[in-house]
Amino acid sequence: MNQSYKDTEAGEEPAVITLAGVSFGYDPEHPILHDINVSIPQGQWVSIVGPNGCGKSTLVKLLNALLPKSAGEITVCGHTLQEETIGDIRQCIGMVFQNPDNQFIGQTVEEDILFGLEGLCLPYEEMKQRLDLYTVKLGIDHLLSKHPGELSGGQKQRVALASILAMKPGIVILDEASSMLDEGSRDELMGILRDMQAEGAYTILLITHDPDEILASDRVLALHGGSIAADVPPAQLFRNEDLLEKCHLREPYPWRLARELQNRGITVDVPASEKELIDTLWPYNFSK
Amino acid sequence: MAIQLQQVSYTYADRSMWKQTALHGINLNIAQGSLTGIAGATGSGKSTLLQLFNGILKPTEGTVQVFDITITAGEKSPKLLPLRRRVGLVFQFPEQQMFEDTVEKDLCFGPLNFGVSPEEAKERARKAMTDMGLDLALLERNPFRLSGGQMRKAAIASVLAMDPDIVVLDEPTATLDPVSRAELIALLERLCREQGRTIIIVTHRMDELLPYADSWALLKDGGLAFQGSGQELAADPAILERCGLTVPQSLRYWQAVAQRFGLAGEKPLLTAEALAERIAALLEERKNAAGMEEKGNGHE
Repeated sequence: MNQSYKDTEAGEEPAVITLAGVSFGYDPEHPILHDINVSIPQGQWVSIVGPNGCGKSTLVKLLNALLPKSAGEITVCGHTLQEETIGDIRQCIGMVFQNPDNQFIGQTVEEDILFGLEGLCLPYEEMKQRLDLYTVKLGIDHLLSKHPGELSGGQKQRVALASILAMKPGIVILDEASSMLDEGSRDELMGILRDMQAEGAYTILLITHDPDEILASDRVLALHGGSIAADVPPAQLFRNEDLLEKCHLREPYPWRLARELQNRGITVDVPASEKELIDTLWPYNFSK
Repeated sequence: MAIQLQQVSYTYADRSMWKQTALHGINLNIAQGSLTGIAGATGSGKSTLLQLFNGILKPTEGTVQVFDITITAGEKSPKLLPLRRRVGLVFQFPEQQMFEDTVEKDLCFGPLNFGVSPEEAKERARKAMTDMGLDLALLERNPFRLSGGQMRKAAIASVLAMDPDIVVLDEPTATLDPVSRAELIALLERLCREQGRTIIIVTHRMDELLPYADSWALLKDGGLAFQGSGQELAADPAILERCGLTVPQSLRYWQAVAQRFGLAGEKPLLTAEALAERIAALLEERKNAAGMEEKGNGHE
């Protein structure tokens, strides 16, 4: 299960993130991450999964030196991580944290989103254009003059996402950034990410527990006990009951239903919709 | 009734030019000892509603009654201490409310504030830890050295330590892994069924609460769009769409099977396991029926 997963298409792309022998721990005796080796090609969409406390957030925070690695080598966008390159690396990574309250600075939503864009020294017209585009995409264009404190949890999360996505970072890292969004809004976010990925300019890292989000990605890195327990495509993860259990994950509902049916001797594929399931079950009766 | 809201409205910054109405004309009843789910699109007023339940916010219009404590808009409110003692509120990201240097001190802080003796406070802390399925050894730990899931549970335990009759939780499972999430829901259900506490959970993951909730309240644009049982919701999932919510997959699959096999009106089966079991039984029935028919045909 520890084999490295190679995507035939993306495998030809140059690696945009490389970790070689990377470890991290507050106490060298008890490392939180141990000897992580992974390479992520440009344009790939990767889900990072694993139980609470397994080091998912720690791993992504090492990439832009929000936490200092204790061993190994990290390369991001061609820069080897060291004191002098932190600035360059941070420029190409956009990170949205679990709790959106941790990243607000502006007095209004508009100010907050523009803050990041000002840092990029963009011309005003360009800033305005991106502000309009991403606030509409995330459905927060009616909240521009509000103070972040007046927003609901889900609205805050959308503002945090808009402010990062508008900066168009080459690497987008979302640390459970959809945890307070309802299912419909999550689907919209997945759509936005899918569009971004199709443009080819973005590499996406998603820390998530959500089966549908995992299913949308190209590749799953499962962390367990401080190392990479599996590096597989999503379908392979959802077919592996032991791995699911180890990572504290659940498969999407249709997968679960299909498995429960198979356990009862009813052979069905994972249905794409409830209609497909009914259509499969109905002839099943008469084929007997 | 544990909680009754009559014609309740709430407006933020009521007397300023930035005023904004978050809730309007809410009539809501929550039965004592029930497990209630509250859902609604982002920004529909869910968190505002919760804060009315223990007097953090006072209604701009209407009356909020919690047990025998009544808060009426425009009137001087009664002493809120008894209300706060009976209604425990767990906010979004509850781990952010931890501040002491050991879990035990954190858990004792609330009870001590309500005038409980130090011995009893410690006793309650231990009980709350056990209720949340946490190891008592963690009491000595620094809360910031716990994992995310443990911290979340410890924060909920700190509310339970106050021994509230009503526990209100705002998105308690967000950012928990699915296994921890299922465990937490099971724990909350136990608190409800075994200890008779009234549990109110705001969630946007309706599917994980649907099999357990006695009743649901759905909010839309600050108004109450639906109040009723999960069964009523299952009978007409279009209500969810009208509230800007997606119909959970478990409900969609149940509805499809129910329609196909004429099971409408039955108690919905909202877990994959229960539905698969039922489908297997249905198929078996049909197969037997078909087998009989075939036999019949054979004799002809």
